[in-house]
Amino acid sequence: MHIEKKIGAVVMRRASQWRMMVGMMLALLLCVAGLGSLGVSTANAAEDTAASTENVAAVKGKTFKVATDTTFAPFEFRDSSGQMVGIDMDMLRAIAKDQGFTVEIQSLGFNAALQALSSGQADGVIAGMSITDERKAVYDFSDPYFQSGVQMAIAKNNDEIKGYEDLKGKTVVAKTGAEGEAFAKKNAKKYGYTVKSVDQSATMYEMVKSGNAAAVVDDYPVLAYGIAQGNGLKTVTPKVPGASYGFAVNKGQNEDLMAAFNTGLAHLKETGEYDKILAKYLGEDSTSSAASNANASSTKKSFIDLAADSFPALMTGLKNTLLITAISFVIALVLGIVLGLMRVSPNPVLAWIARVYVAIFRGTPILVWAFFFYFGIPQLIGHSINIWVAGALTLSLNSGAYLVEIVRGAIESVNKGQMEGARSLGLNYGQAMRKVILPQAVKIGTPAIINQLVIMLKDSSLLLAIGFGELLYQAQQIYAANFRVTETLLMVGVIYFVAITLLTWLANIVDRRMNKR
Amino acid sequence: MSEATNATNATNTQNDAVKNGDMQKSDVVIDVKDLRKSFGGNEVLKGINCQVHAGEVISIIGPSGAGKSTFLRCLNGLDTPSSGSIVVLGDDIADPKTNIDKTREHIGMVFQHFNLFPNMTVAENITLAPTLIKKVPADKARARALELLRMVGLEEKADANPESLSGGQKQRVAIARSLAMDPQIMLFDEATSALDPEMVGDVLQVIRDLAKKGMTMLLVTHEMAFAREVSTRVIFTDAGVIEEEGTPEQVFGNPQSPRLRSFLSKVL
Repeated sequence: MHIEKKIGAVVMRRASQWRMMVGMMLALLLCVAGLGSLGVSTANAAEDTAASTENVAAVKGKTFKVATDTTFAPFEFRDSSGQMVGIDMDMLRAIAKDQGFTVEIQSLGFNAALQALSSGQADGVIAGMSITDERKAVYDFSDPYFQSGVQMAIAKNNDEIKGYEDLKGKTVVAKTGAEGEAFAKKNAKKYGYTVKSVDQSATMYEMVKSGNAAAVVDDYPVLAYGIAQGNGLKTVTPKVPGASYGFAVNKGQNEDLMAAFNTGLAHLKETGEYDKILAKYLGEDSTSSAASNANASSTKKSFIDLAADSFPALMTGLKNTLLITAISFVIALVLGIVLGLMRVSPNPVLAWIARVYVAIFRGTPILVWAFFFYFGIPQLIGHSINIWVAGALTLSLNSGAYLVEIVRGAIESVNKGQMEGARSLGLNYGQAMRKVILPQAVKIGTPAIINQLVIMLKDSSLLLAIGFGELLYQAQQIYAANFRVTETLLMVGVIYFVAITLLTWLANIVDRRMNKR
Repeated sequence: MSEATNATNATNTQNDAVKNGDMQKSDVVIDVKDLRKSFGGNEVLKGINCQVHAGEVISIIGPSGAGKSTFLRCLNGLDTPSSGSIVVLGDDIADPKTNIDKTREHIGMVFQHFNLFPNMTVAENITLAPTLIKKVPADKARARALELLRMVGLEEKADANPESLSGGQKQRVAIARSLAMDPQIMLFDEATSALDPEMVGDVLQVIRDLAKKGMTMLLVTHEMAFAREVSTRVIFTDAGVIEEEGTPEQVFGNPQSPRLRSFLSKVL
């Protein structure tokens, strides 16, 4: 089908871009660390083929990592207690229970989930993923478990748009790489609208509500669920039937898991549990789900209730944000001081190493490194990397580069006569640095270092891209489920502001004490 | 003309040395041979030859840019010579293999801008090198610091922050700091140039006292009257060479080279 081909093409293009990026980063890394010729082996292939010929019972007692999207309600989202729920989640857990294996769910985002699968970080992906011919070339799919489709929605108070014909000259939003985007693009010329692609359903709905876009084309179950949750939209055109969703593993791998999934799915359908799960999220009759659910949750929660509901998840996020910042800051400070001293060292080789380090990490975006450490490195070393390790590496190496420059600047801004004065007394370079230059440099550099700490705390929010459960990530999880984007972001903003204000205040006290200002 | 004059003066100096009887060859503490120093393409020192004997007080005078400070800074390795040899107390410090830190313990240096350490008190400035390098116990180092401060008239400033002192006081502390390592040679690089006129006297008095005690000293200075009064020898440098040298009486009273005469006519 035409639509499916386009989706496939998008995914394939992204995959090849990713491979190119990994290649480039690898070249860089080899340059820097001088790791030499690290064998790029596909170590994960060996582990999986061994058990492939055994029967379904082979999965019993095993744990599988399954990657998923972060924000694809009603298939996957977090409830107010922070638990991953949704049709995919409930079904996967039911199948796992039925077949006697356990799943470890990794909520990464759609593209990141596919990358995790390719890189061996995950055994499978379940993410409301359409079964397409192009994807079938790369992945093995389970039996279809849901018949999807796309639908258009407009703002509830919009009476002008009655159909696609009324979209002329307007903007339509769709989700990057999703079926809705393909449909919207295919018909753009015919109806004379322009398509804008964004990453999340909640963002798309906000754009339509705020008037930045006239309409949204999204997967029908997601849209129906959103409308039921009171996202302020309505539908005026009928559903366009589309692809079926399937569970995916890497082609030729994890055959036991796939077989178990199919057996479990069939079993769930027999026992009626499958229908129960669908009904839970889409209503008794899935075609009338919008109406029935809308009635159920028509009373909108007050801001206070929303805040109270979100509080535990946001506090978990804040805790993770502060912890990863603290860990990364300590590492970055050590890096900054050691490499900063190397940078000003009279030894040209040491100075050059520090200079190259700074050039590389200051000259590349944090996100590139986050993806590289979490998805790229596992492909090189053959096993997965803990997300805390990847996150701390990303933040500390990035901030370390800036701290090197802060340390260098501070040392160089100590009057040259101080070094000469110390050396002329017979102190060697190290003694002069330690006793005379560094105490003065610390005093000069502390405000800039505090500044870098604050920047780092805010930069830690970028780790949401690899699915690290920090503050902004938790917020996304919350508004992906309840569509209260503005209020949730407001809360997050306030939390960041309070945390940073307290941190700055604390750091300034330490500065005053330590540097006797 | 100038070459001939130099030769004459050199002979005069040697004669003086023999006459005075306290400047034997064995007393040579600094021996500089064909010292050259370039910064980029600019040659600042163009072949300096100079011997310093123990107990000498040498004033180095000359116009700005003559290389006076560079010469002084080469003597304790703050500037690295481009070529030539500098033997200080038996070690050739122009040789990269020489441990310059060891030699510097015996050479005190006083800078135009004092270079006191603002992260320490006055006393800590003075005790830093003895406690760190010579491992002198803290109480003994402190007692010695107070003694030196008394000598320069600043005992009551021991626990003050250097930033709170006047320029003249800072320079006297800087001298005390250098003396704490018991150096055999003292270098003064325009020690009074950054001071207000009323501060200059106190600092010069400290240097005068050192001269009386027989300290070997080299002073780059613009204080001609002081140079004349305190020096045993005056060296006039111009354009990177020693143009003329001799006793203060010779250099100030009977200058030979036109350039020295022209210089003296401007500064006296």
